Amino acid sequence: MSVTDRRADALDAQEALPVADVLPRADMLPEDVLSESEARPEADVLPEAELQPEAGMLSKAGMLPEADVRPEADTLPRAQGPGRALVPYGQGRIRGLEAADLGTHGVAMDRLVALGLPVVPGLSVPVGSAAALCEPENARAALELVEQLSGRRIGDGGRPLLLRLSASAPADVAGLPPDLACLGVTPAGAAGLCAVIGGEEALYEVWAATIRMIAEYALDVPGPDLDDVLLDAPDHRARVDALLSAVARHTARPYPEDPAEQLALAARAMLGRWASPRARRARKAQRLPADLGIALHVQALRIGPADRSGYGTAVSRDPESGRFSPQGSFFRGVRRSSPPPLTGEPLDRLGGGTALLEHAMLTLERHLHSPVSVDFEVRDGEIALLAAAAQSRPPLRASVCLAADLAGDGTLSPQEAVRRIGPDQVQELLHARLRLTGAEDLLVRGLPASPGAAAGSVVLSAERALELAADGTPVVLVAQETTPADVPGMLAAAAVLTGSGGIASHAAVVARGAGIPAVCGAESLRVLPAEGTVRIGDRVLREGDPVSLDGRTGTVYAGTLPVTVAGPPPELSTVLGWADDLRRLGVRVNADTAAEVNTAVALGAEGVGLCRTEHQFLGERLPLIRRVILAADPDARTEALLALERAQHEDFRDLLTAVGDRPVTVRLLDAPLHEFLPAPGEAEDAAAEQRAAALREANPMLGLRGVRLALLHERLYPAQAEALFAAWVEVAATGVRPELEVMIPLVSLPEELAVAAAHVRGAAEAVAARTGVEVPYRLGTMIETPRAALLAAELAEHAEFFSFGTNDLTQLTYGFSRDDVERQVLAVYRDRGLLAASPFARLDPHGVGALVALAAERARSVRPDIKLGVCGEHGGDPESIAFCDGLGLDYVSCSAHRVPVARMAAAHSALGAGRDDSGRNGSGSNGSSGSGSAR
Amino acid sequence: MQPAAVAGTDALDESLTEAVVDLVLRGMWRGRPESEHRPLVEAGLAMVKGPMVLPTERARTAAAQILRIAPGSAEEQRITAVYEAFLPVNRRIREVCTAWQCRPDGTANDHSDSVYDAEVRESLEDVHEAIQPVLRRLERELAGSGRYMTALEEALDRFDEGAVEWLASPLCDSYHTVWMRLHQELLLVLGVSRAEDEALEEELVRRSRG
Repeated sequence: MSVTDRRADALDAQEALPVADVLPRADMLPEDVLSESEARPEADVLPEAELQPEAGMLSKAGMLPEADVRPEADTLPRAQGPGRALVPYGQGRIRGLEAADLGTHGVAMDRLVALGLPVVPGLSVPVGSAAALCEPENARAALELVEQLSGRRIGDGGRPLLLRLSASAPADVAGLPPDLACLGVTPAGAAGLCAVIGGEEALYEVWAATIRMIAEYALDVPGPDLDDVLLDAPDHRARVDALLSAVARHTARPYPEDPAEQLALAARAMLGRWASPRARRARKAQRLPADLGIALHVQALRIGPADRSGYGTAVSRDPESGRFSPQGSFFRGVRRSSPPPLTGEPLDRLGGGTALLEHAMLTLERHLHSPVSVDFEVRDGEIALLAAAAQSRPPLRASVCLAADLAGDGTLSPQEAVRRIGPDQVQELLHARLRLTGAEDLLVRGLPASPGAAAGSVVLSAERALELAADGTPVVLVAQETTPADVPGMLAAAAVLTGSGGIASHAAVVARGAGIPAVCGAESLRVLPAEGTVRIGDRVLREGDPVSLDGRTGTVYAGTLPVTVAGPPPELSTVLGWADDLRRLGVRVNADTAAEVNTAVALGAEGVGLCRTEHQFLGERLPLIRRVILAADPDARTEALLALERAQHEDFRDLLTAVGDRPVTVRLLDAPLHEFLPAPGEAEDAAAEQRAAALREANPMLGLRGVRLALLHERLYPAQAEALFAAWVEVAATGVRPELEVMIPLVSLPEELAVAAAHVRGAAEAVAARTGVEVPYRLGTMIETPRAALLAAELAEHAEFFSFGTNDLTQLTYGFSRDDVERQVLAVYRDRGLLAASPFARLDPHGVGALVALAAERARSVRPDIKLGVCGEHGGDPESIAFCDGLGLDYVSCSAHRVPVARMAAAHSALGAGRDDSGRNGSGSNGSSGSGSAR
Repeated sequence: MQPAAVAGTDALDESLTEAVVDLVLRGMWRGRPESEHRPLVEAGLAMVKGPMVLPTERARTAAAQILRIAPGSAEEQRITAVYEAFLPVNRRIREVCTAWQCRPDGTANDHSDSVYDAEVRESLEDVHEAIQPVLRRLERELAGSGRYMTALEEALDRFDEGAVEWLASPLCDSYHTVWMRLHQELLLVLGVSRAEDEALEEELVRRSRG
């Protein structure tokens, strides 16, 4: 349709390159084509008199007043001759004319000629002179010039020529008048043209459209009458006859047969249409000046046999792979305005082959540094360009591929290639999405909780998810909200959909971590497990019904929609490699299992910044940890701990093997106690039930968790640490030496850290005594509470590294409970402009960031070489990453699927800092982003 | 005509005719059932589902009978000609709505590209220009159909004032909503099924773009 067929003559937006740099490679260019007269109109065809580079005065003089729709006077002073206002394609620059004079199309054609590319013969009538073309005398001069440029004559039966009139404005705008083609056809000559083409539908259709517009806008035939003519005529040919009769009836003289008179009327129609209420409204909507002028362009429309002639459009790159591979279609016959006909054929059917088209696109890509689109004409098997421009929104993979290609052959520096790919675009490439046609059945919209897209059958329980997934059926787990018990089902699912819970809900966090698309908080969704159905508004879905969702947009559709899988292309890896060379900040992954580590390493993680050991206590291990917590006596507890230690040993061994020689930060148990307690009434006996009841907390997230667990259950951390160290010894025996970092969570008192550190040291000594191997490790702490940040100096006495847990630090600094405020408060705050972004998505530079900055400064005063990292979700957010880079932190750690984003963001931060040293290197309180909160 | 059908129509209270046709053409009424809807509900012509009032099967049958013009009549032939001019434009309005919502590559239109949006608006203007002669003809043949032009222009005005939901939202009398109603009325007037309609549209579009 027309909007996809958008003419984008935007070459003028680009700086001109020295022509010498972009001359076509001789091997790509069939010589016979370049030597054609139309390829180099300035060289040998032009009459001397019209070549004098002068016309600037004319084009800048009398700008057509908007109201002057029907210019009566010849605005060209006769003494200067009509030819001076006619600028052949390729002559504009010599005459000092720019887009303001020539329109975007004139400038684009100029550049194509300068690049040595074959263009359709034609000329521009500059903005200020356009009205002059309404005079038959001037139109005749234009016509004769195009005849000369094309080496054909209108009315010649053997090599027929027609004219096409088009318009362009000084910038890309919508609402230009449609092209008027088939100028120069007469009722008597039409049959001959149809014979050359080998068909008549296309010619009559375009001709009818041209007469229709000329009749209404140049000859004042009432539009409704013309509408009636068209509605009553059975086919295009009959329409032409009826329109010609209508014109004769209304104007009392026949539609002219003289081609120059037709051209003059067409120019009048163009300008009339440009001055119509419709066009005025379009200019107003685009905030364009009401009196914006247009340049007119007269092109040769060379008629050839339909089996070897036509026109087409193409883009330079395959949208899926991004590789250079011209894609498009061509149409036989006479070029029409939109919508394009349904008879497009692939480029490889082009009679004369695609070599010249490929050459033109390669040349243009190197000139414009962008994927390009072209409109072209094929006549007797030869290609000439009608328009060419940088693609307005190239597919992302095409942009990345192009950047890699251009840097690969030295056209761009690697640094420039990196600069062209934003972190968000990296993210875009790493997740699949639904391919929409607009006809989809939207079920519900929720929060975009985890990017990516998937389709699958609805399942309402983790068990069912596992069953079906085991058979290879993609499933979408639908739940009111998820709990840790659902995790195995979630991991087996293709996507997750929940009715409640925010961006930071359990389901969202797990899904993002696992790279599974998720839509959360779809409010009209009600899961009715007893009935095996889900209600969404008035719709009822059953288990097994297909749904599709996009976790980037939060949309959920009925049925199975196609998903475009966008794996990281090799070109992206290349560009990311260059990004790695440019960045200072390290990038690690938050990964809990060997599988996650493997994924992340493949995506470029330099190590593990956060390994949460919680999952080691869930699933089949849950009874073990339960026995530790609810043990009736010390013996039972010791026995349970030993079993737990054995189980963890295996997990750690696998993890460390996957980590290899990289650093890995293992966080000892942090989870709130309640996650391990049996549900009321489900303890193994009454005594255990009583002990469990005594352990239940009013606010578990602020209760017995983190280092506090270690102080109350003194064997817990030593058991974990021993399992870890013993695993390291085993892995080291295979020749791999992970850099172990043991991290104590949720510290707020230096004394807590001292006690926990003693536990870890004791474990290391125990393992050394048992195995004879002194395990090298660093001991550090999470900074998650404001108090820990404030007491950073004291903590640094005990800690060799800090990892800022910015999720909890944000909760505790604001006093926000994430799950509660994400849904209730933050949306309102953002709507009212109190917050620009959720502080959980973007590190708040003024408060939380200030604490980080202060802690970093105080810690370094005690221990200058202390290693500092961030392991919250902020570690994957580009602006937050730039902030961390500015503070000189050593690394950020994020979920595996954000690792490439973080690599690119860190490189962009380094490039930004290189450009502007003043901005980023300040303290946290005047940090770079400034958008975390508004005042 | 079959006696049963006659009975069905006859049984319908004259005062309900307009309301039934309106409900069937709209497909639903949103919001609380109001006094004008109650008689329909009581007559078994509408049902209340949550916040919506929906036509019953009986209402659909009744509306179809009320609207259908005499088969084989000259009037039917003239309206059929209008309908055939309508169908290719019907395809285009769908394409315009899609272009407004999704960019050609299938990604959602985030409306950050003002030139793209302006191009879509231009295509909408093309559609609006193309439907006007069709509706002018229809008005000659079908009483009351002039309201569609008024409603389309109203929607277009609202859209141009910046309320973009007036293009395609099903929740207001948007351009698309009004258009769908017009389409539905044509189908009922001519007794054309949705399947016949789709096949004919495809054929006419293919012919016009071949």
